[in-house]
Amino acid sequence: MSAAEIECIDVRKVYRKDRIAIPVLDGLNLRIAAGEFVTLMGPSGSGKSTLLHLIGGLDSPTGGSVRVGDAQLERMSERELTAWRSRHVGFIFQMYHLVPVLTAAQNVELPLLLFKMSAAERRERVATALKIVGLSDRTDHRPNQLSGGQEQRVAIARALVTDPDVILADEPTGDLDARTSEEILTLLNLLNTEFGKTILMVTHDPKAAAHGQRTIHLEKGVLERDEVMPRKTVAAASA
Amino acid sequence: MALPLYYNWRNLFVRKLSTMLTFAVVAVIVLVLAVLLSFAAGIRASLASSGSRSNIMVLKPGATAESTSIILPDEISKLVQAPHVARGGDGRPLVSEELCVQTSIPRSTDGTLANVAVRGVAPVAFDVHREVRLIEGRRFDDGALEVIVGKAARDRYANLQIGGEVPLGKLSNRTYRVVGVFEAGGGALESEIWAGLTSIRDSFDRRFSSSAVLALDDAVRADETIAAINGPSIQLEARRESDYYIELSRKTREIVLLTSILIGIMSIGAVFAVANTMYASVDGRRREIAMLRTIGFSRGAILTAFLIESMLICVVACAAGIGGSLLLSGSRQDFLSDTTWTVLAYELRITGDIVVSALGLAVVVGAVGALAPALRASRIRVIEALRKA
Repeated sequence: MSAAEIECIDVRKVYRKDRIAIPVLDGLNLRIAAGEFVTLMGPSGSGKSTLLHLIGGLDSPTGGSVRVGDAQLERMSERELTAWRSRHVGFIFQMYHLVPVLTAAQNVELPLLLFKMSAAERRERVATALKIVGLSDRTDHRPNQLSGGQEQRVAIARALVTDPDVILADEPTGDLDARTSEEILTLLNLLNTEFGKTILMVTHDPKAAAHGQRTIHLEKGVLERDEVMPRKTVAAASA
Repeated sequence: MALPLYYNWRNLFVRKLSTMLTFAVVAVIVLVLAVLLSFAAGIRASLASSGSRSNIMVLKPGATAESTSIILPDEISKLVQAPHVARGGDGRPLVSEELCVQTSIPRSTDGTLANVAVRGVAPVAFDVHREVRLIEGRRFDDGALEVIVGKAARDRYANLQIGGEVPLGKLSNRTYRVVGVFEAGGGALESEIWAGLTSIRDSFDRRFSSSAVLALDDAVRADETIAAINGPSIQLEARRESDYYIELSRKTREIVLLTSILIGIMSIGAVFAVANTMYASVDGRRREIAMLRTIGFSRGAILTAFLIESMLICVVACAAGIGGSLLLSGSRQDFLSDTTWTVLAYELRITGDIVVSALGLAVVVGAVGALAPALRASRIRVIEALRKA
């Protein structure tokens, strides 16, 4: 069980298109404590996903610094970031992004292939991850044999199988119905409360945001509001 | 760390049609290549084992083959004066005067006619062509209407078993009986029918010979013998017997060259087929690739995955192509020489070298075709690819 603190100092991100500079993040400062469950809200184009990508080491800031645990991301090369992501970050996407030709277990196993680990140990960790997300009976099913909620559970199992410090979720319930969304959010809550994972989740849904401890509102690339949420317990969420 | 092989294998079946088309193209190319190489190897093996370096083949100056050569009896008699001609146990020079003609004989497979060489020889021929050895029956009696047939001829053409009858002669009105079967070290002579020189001359109404073959007592000094025969006192054209057959295989080399160019062009087409399939695969899997990059797979791992996928198609197609060619392996075919206008029976055989060559071609096609799509896959912009459509 591991978690990491996230710290962004004066983070700026400017995209260039046809020589026109498009600022997306403009001097953003943010600190997320290890083991916190933080949701990120804001209108489209406010910089939520960009911030998530910077914290996940998928992109580099134009200015400022991003620290996750001991890793100062802006100083790392692409190769170093790739290796770092595999060990420290679990990603959950809105569209799940499972490999359609692989079974649920094989999808979950994918990140473990980057580790020096015996096949037996991989199998054990995959079984544990699938058990946590409640899909022990779906190990040999392919994505097209699973419901949307089950696919997202497999994606969550894939994100946590390496025991990452941070889980980054980009609108994980955006493609699910209300009941399934609630199940997924309950599961994320469980990862935070039971396994102590630092979770940063982008969402447009205030109900989803209510599952976090804090909600950060972004507006035009700056932090508009940092709101502490009344914590919704797993039991309450399940009710 | 590379992606597991089952990931590559299963992805091949996602786009079945384009995968199957690419598979078919590569399999056909490999099949053509394997058959071509086995054809060339078969002809080469047959001709390379034909003739001896210690024998001299003599033709009329300007003649390219025995079929276009006429040597008169007085010219034959001059040949015994050439230096280093070996002598038999009875002290007579080992000079084999031979008349080579053709006859049409149906193939045993489909009954179509083939031009088969008929060689009229004197008994001394068996001392000159030392590789010729009876394996069934007996020699023909000179003067009788009897023939012996080469092993390849017996296997390839109808009625050439012992006891079989072959119509020969200018009007095909003399019926010769097969009394023996010979082998000749796998060489071209095994595609021939041999009979007594006088019988053949009589049946075909020829008063001349087409060639003479001399056995040397010292193969190292063959050049002196050749110079003497080519010189003013004899004025015929001599060369080592082995060189004569190598010269006959020139046409094969031309066929191989032309077909190789065709295979080259087909291979370029296959490269494009592979590239097309792999580009479609990359474009259809942009998000999947981005996800793999996100969870920590390197650019190199992605590049390797797509190269392996392409290789898998090509290697399996190669196996299918080789499998197809193996159906022909061991079969006897014949090749009509445009020099002798007779057929040479040879054996198609898929050897280890041919398999390696075919595999090499398949791997090169797979690698070259997949390189650009694989590079594109490895350079996908992760964030853009992850975004919703």
